[in-house]
Amino acid sequence: MNIVKRLEEGSGSDSPLQLQQLIRGTSRGDKAAFAALYARTAAKLFGVAIRIVGQREEAEEVLQESFVAIWQRAGDYDAARGSATGWLTTIVRHCAIDHVRRRASRPNSHSASDEMLLSFAASGSTDRGAEMAALQRCLAELDEQPRRAILLAYLYGFTREEISADCAVPLGTVKSWVRRGLERLKRCLDP
Amino acid sequence: MRYDDPELRDQLAAEYVLGTMPSRSRRRFERLMADDPTLARLVGAWADRLTPLDTATPAEEPPARVWRAVEARIAADAAPPAFEHRWFGSLAFWRGLSIAACTAAAALIIYIAAFPARMGPPIPAVVAVLADQSGDPNWIAIAGPQTGEVSVSAIRPQAEDTRHSFELWSIAGGAPRPLGLLRPEAGNAAIIRAAQLPPPGDLLAVSLEPQGGSPTGLPTGPVLSRGKVLLRLP
Repeated sequence: MNIVKRLEEGSGSDSPLQLQQLIRGTSRGDKAAFAALYARTAAKLFGVAIRIVGQREEAEEVLQESFVAIWQRAGDYDAARGSATGWLTTIVRHCAIDHVRRRASRPNSHSASDEMLLSFAASGSTDRGAEMAALQRCLAELDEQPRRAILLAYLYGFTREEISADCAVPLGTVKSWVRRGLERLKRCLDP
Repeated sequence: MRYDDPELRDQLAAEYVLGTMPSRSRRRFERLMADDPTLARLVGAWADRLTPLDTATPAEEPPARVWRAVEARIAADAAPPAFEHRWFGSLAFWRGLSIAACTAAAALIIYIAAFPARMGPPIPAVVAVLADQSGDPNWIAIAGPQTGEVSVSAIRPQAEDTRHSFELWSIAGGAPRPLGLLRPEAGNAAIIRAAQLPPPGDLLAVSLEPQGGSPTGLPTGPVLSRGKVLLRLP
């Protein structure tokens, strides 16, 4: 069992168990549960949306689209398949990524150095510090370029084509970096 | 593409979560996932592996207009449409159950009409008994007076001052929803619609709120009593 699952099953101070219950309530059309879910998660998810789309106004649209999707798709969520946080974040990230892909160009502010990306991913000590430390250790075991490709994709929603341009390598190279990088990451994270 | 190769499945699940899948492939993958629980489980595992990366991203309070827009967009929905295939959470399931309950009630009425002398006066169905922390029952919910209604009243007079009100809540799946204010004197019932009750097994609760009820739509004062819903009414 992974750490996220263990955290979710305990009812700690942030009680992810409650998030599961709120999603379950939402799936039954319970608007109070949905409002409580929004109150508990919107700020964190808005931060994630801003990170990917790069500015607040568009991130507001993304957050709105995401919560309409969460309302419509709450019945798909099953706690046996993963954490509530993972499910919610995936919806918001995909929505943000679609938003960015519809734009003609993306801001240049994301051409960050690998060191910056890594330190960004590593900074902040929170309740998920132990998981972050494990992921950080496993990311450090990857070669520099696959690591950079994975972080650009996860943190900023870079497409394979954008990574290929950013790193000045052919598309096929990016695909194999990502695939093998993710495989190694999994082997390292899963005991 | 072959979707039965375990390595390929895990690889696609990983790229789905990472976000590198082209948008159209992602939507096709989501349709596959809907009918393939093990694929959905691979995706959940990848989301749990990667979401710690969001830890360092600062939370930002979104402006209130975002929630207002979300609320406006879902206002038309009586219930979200996406859960039809999940029988235990689905509207179809509950609809089926209430149709079955309606049929049972209709059969009962016919039976009473046919054998009035042998049945005696009908006994009101107890929907829930709410007890305080020490287990003493102090509120009761019974079916009626009309079909589709539930009366909630104090079993014994409840101490209430002029600055506070007793508020009744439905707690379905851990989420409270206000049902209305209760009268503190015994036998003076508040009537609520049976459709507002949580499903059997979920809770009704009474909290002490500022006069007129909670200003936030969520309980703000202490929960004084609670009890499980025992049956579903038509």
